Amino acid sequence: MRVSLKWLKEFVALPATVAELTELLTRAGVEVEGVEERGVNIDKVVVAQIVESNQHPNADRLSVCKVDDGGGEPRQIVCGANNYRIGDKVPLAQPGAELPGNFKIKVGKLRGVESQGMLCSSKELGLGEGADGLLILPQSARVGAPLGELFPSDTILDLEITPNRADLLSYRGIAREVAALIDKDFTVPEIKSSAEMASSSTIRIEAPEQAPFYSVRKIHGVQVSSSPDWLRDKLASSGIRTINNVVDITNFVMLEMGQPLHAFDADRLHDAIRVRTATNGEEFLALDGRTYKLDSGDLVIADASRAIAIAGVMGGEETGVTQTTTNVILESAYFHPTGIRRTARRLGLISNSSYRFERGVDPAGVLAASQRAVDLINELADGTADPETQTGGSVPDLVRAITLRKGRSTQVLGTEVPGEFIAKTLKGFGLTTAGDHVWHVPSFRQDLRREIDLIEEVTRVFGIENIPPRETSRYFSESQTDREHDRQMQIRRSLVAHGFYEARSLSLIEATPDYMLPGAMQVRNPLASDQVLLRPTLVRGVLAAVAHNARAGLKAQRIFELGRCFLAGEREEQTKLALAMTGPLAEKSWRGENAREADFFDLKGVLASLGWKDLETRPMENPALALCAEILFKNVRIGAMGLLWPARARELDVAASVVIAEIGLPPADAEEKKFCGISKYPVVTRDIAMLAPKNCTHAELTAVLQNANEPLLADVELFDVFSDPSGEKVPREMKALAYSLTYRSAVRTLTADEVNEAHTRLKERLKAALHVSFRE
Amino acid sequence: MESQLEQIRAEALAEIERASDETALELTRVKFLGRAGSISLASEGMKTLSKDDKPRIGKLLNEVRQTVTGALDARKAALADGRDTAALSEIDVTLPGTRVPVGSLHPITRLLDRAIQIFRRMGFVLADGPDIETEFHCFDALNTPPDHPARNEQDTFYLPDGRLLRSHTSTIQIRTMESQPPPIRIIGPGAAYRRDEADATHLAQFNQMEGLYVDEQVTVADLKGTCEFFFRELLGNDARVRFRPHFFPFTEPSFEIDIKATSLGTGEKWLELAGCGMVDPAVFESINRKRGDEAYDPERVSGFAFGFGLDRLAMIMSGVTDIRLFTENDVRFLEQFR
Repeated sequence: MRVSLKWLKEFVALPATVAELTELLTRAGVEVEGVEERGVNIDKVVVAQIVESNQHPNADRLSVCKVDDGGGEPRQIVCGANNYRIGDKVPLAQPGAELPGNFKIKVGKLRGVESQGMLCSSKELGLGEGADGLLILPQSARVGAPLGELFPSDTILDLEITPNRADLLSYRGIAREVAALIDKDFTVPEIKSSAEMASSSTIRIEAPEQAPFYSVRKIHGVQVSSSPDWLRDKLASSGIRTINNVVDITNFVMLEMGQPLHAFDADRLHDAIRVRTATNGEEFLALDGRTYKLDSGDLVIADASRAIAIAGVMGGEETGVTQTTTNVILESAYFHPTGIRRTARRLGLISNSSYRFERGVDPAGVLAASQRAVDLINELADGTADPETQTGGSVPDLVRAITLRKGRSTQVLGTEVPGEFIAKTLKGFGLTTAGDHVWHVPSFRQDLRREIDLIEEVTRVFGIENIPPRETSRYFSESQTDREHDRQMQIRRSLVAHGFYEARSLSLIEATPDYMLPGAMQVRNPLASDQVLLRPTLVRGVLAAVAHNARAGLKAQRIFELGRCFLAGEREEQTKLALAMTGPLAEKSWRGENAREADFFDLKGVLASLGWKDLETRPMENPALALCAEILFKNVRIGAMGLLWPARARELDVAASVVIAEIGLPPADAEEKKFCGISKYPVVTRDIAMLAPKNCTHAELTAVLQNANEPLLADVELFDVFSDPSGEKVPREMKALAYSLTYRSAVRTLTADEVNEAHTRLKERLKAALHVSFRE
Repeated sequence: MESQLEQIRAEALAEIERASDETALELTRVKFLGRAGSISLASEGMKTLSKDDKPRIGKLLNEVRQTVTGALDARKAALADGRDTAALSEIDVTLPGTRVPVGSLHPITRLLDRAIQIFRRMGFVLADGPDIETEFHCFDALNTPPDHPARNEQDTFYLPDGRLLRSHTSTIQIRTMESQPPPIRIIGPGAAYRRDEADATHLAQFNQMEGLYVDEQVTVADLKGTCEFFFRELLGNDARVRFRPHFFPFTEPSFEIDIKATSLGTGEKWLELAGCGMVDPAVFESINRKRGDEAYDPERVSGFAFGFGLDRLAMIMSGVTDIRLFTENDVRFLEQFR
């Protein structure tokens, strides 16, 4: 809400400075979002008339003017503009004036010619951009008059009114608020005339739930013309366009009192007024020139033949007040907020009227506002009103009583607010009491419904800065979520130590076929085509990050993301971990060692380092990947890893191999670690070099060794794998493998003989199980 | 015999001193201590000595042997040191260290974890809730009227089954109170979603942190103490915290929290960083209805709640002017938060 301080001052004495007022309102919860200075309030800037203009002797683009500023002698001014004619009236900044931007005007020489001041553009006066060149003033301007007479200064506050404070959407309301905050009185506009209320048969309310009360007043012999300056200025200062005196008056009263009004051209209405719901598909041409399609949830004002207004939102083009209007029907009503809100949102038509109705206007102010407008129409447009106001329905009684128990505010605030302060504050806001802790809330404060709401009012004025803070704590057991957070941070930090960057991607992704897994969920009302699907996997985000960085020229990449994924089913939301690696394992270095490109096994090694002992991989078919393995935890599949097809990697602008992995986090290991001793006895190692068929896997080989029940065998380490496509060193259908086997006893030093025996037994087992031969 | 030994000693020591490398030193060792070396020969000569001379000469012989052996060892060590020093003297210690790949946590994760650590020191524990929520948890239970604009399809993402993507993490308050009686003292970080067009300060998804403390006799003073402590811990002791009355459906009274701090580098401007307030009795009442008990009787317990956006806070704290940088995952951005 834009508030002119000049206007506001008519109702309440304001604090001395704008800064104080801003602080006062902000502290009370009415945020000042902007302060705008309007008009000209600069000393020594006056209206001057150009009497003479000659070419500057030393500068093509300058001229030397003689101007009359009412001081007797004409002044000589050097001027760079050329948009004026002799006789034009323009603003003159006299020596001593200080223009916006600390620009001080002095007598000085411009290219050798004396200039006794400066002729000004609108921009130089802080009046906005305006046209180029001098600001040409109306001929009616009085020579020598301070420019402030033509451009009265004002300060406009842009207030953010929270949705609960409908009462602050008017000057009266803001004046009341300010007065309460500084403990002063405020005045209300005087209403001169009065009217009889007549329950009328010419008004039929067919939807009383949505329109509890409706009134019209007929005004005859209206002279529609433009509004006087004071009215135009007031509307302009509050951001409302002037139309004509009648419409301007309705807007003026709305700003002043908070009650939206509407004026119809009485001669364009047929018979009785109906307040009814629209029919489905009913079309309505509104004052903004657009046609709206209504439905049965919308409330309209209608005459016998058609809708003449969308109730509380906007009037109709056909029945508006124009220059030819002579008789006016002035509407003032109370519409229920819910219906207005629904219609305004559905039609995308938020008007000054709907904005107020949907927040709730004061039903007790409906007739007063009508009367105030009648006064003004009588005064400014010569209209004569019917003695009676025609009404339908009844003014809802929204006054309520609330008990504010003694001591309750202390319980909420943690500090005591004196009873007198509470009483004074609530009275300031217009509440009344009989002194028994029961407060009667006026109908313009629909937001005050409960005891706690009254306490809030007291708090706002008391000032939260006057409540001393208290530092309290309590002991609480660690939650499951705490443990999970700590575990996830540990995983993150481990990966960071391995050179991985953490990515965080959006959960909403594009619904491309790749990611339309069974059970994938989409939002019903997406905003953008690339934010439709709730990600069932983190892979998309991680690959997008890889592509983004590849395009930025980064070759070596290690990226991970740990976050929520979504898939319909028992565990709809699951935390997953995805990793991607590509490019050299180390950057180019003076050490001269050329780093390998990261591959499948590098990523597998990273996963293994995260400390899940029971992680296993098994070959898996996946057409999306050139190489793929499923990842199992305690024999249950928790994810997969693989190598992107090079074509897919090229789509991401990556030339090197891209390896990726994704797992659902295995359950946390809750067991406390137990120390199991360090053997005092030396280990013995024996190597096995063998030739194995190509299709024989490392997993099979180690399984044979581990299942052999050799108690002395402590560890099996693969240290070489070799195959030769030429078949020279190793037959083509075979591969050479070399393992180092470690033997150890926890209770004694092993003898060579017993190690040799165990080693031989293991080799025999391998030979029998897997058709391997040994290379000694 | 004695003078002969003295002479051997002198000769040996001189020759050891002269040896310029380890080969020469080894020849010297052989010459004196080898099987045919002069000291060895001298000890052969011991057999011919009389009983009277033997102890004296034997003692001297031992002395000579020890002196020479000691000198040999010392010289050997000195020569080795010299060789090592020469080999290392040319190394430029200012050469860069071998590069080890380094990564970094995402700046949002860093801030999130830092915030969690601060609240934990104040006795808060973590709580959680799903991103996909019911209207009850996101709006009804939080005293949001049925026709509130936030429920609009314009503002909130809905799923075909009528559920929605939570528009704030206050759902975590509701989830926690549903399942646990008071006292509770929790923080709940998580993602929230709003149908906002992406621009420099908006994303359809962002990160929030929620806090709730419900107990007997919790007051605005406790709310102030907690929030002031948090922001001072996070932003430095000179951080100033201003509570400004505001309106939220789920708290009464409600406040916005404005901050001024040198570390933010934003001068004298108050920055709106969080919302908070005393839990509205209507929220407790709807929890009680859902629980089917009176555990959260607003006459017996009270509580405060607060929430703030991690993205906005991270932006201000680290001078990031475009929120979209947080989801682009550009390494040139991420590496600056190492």
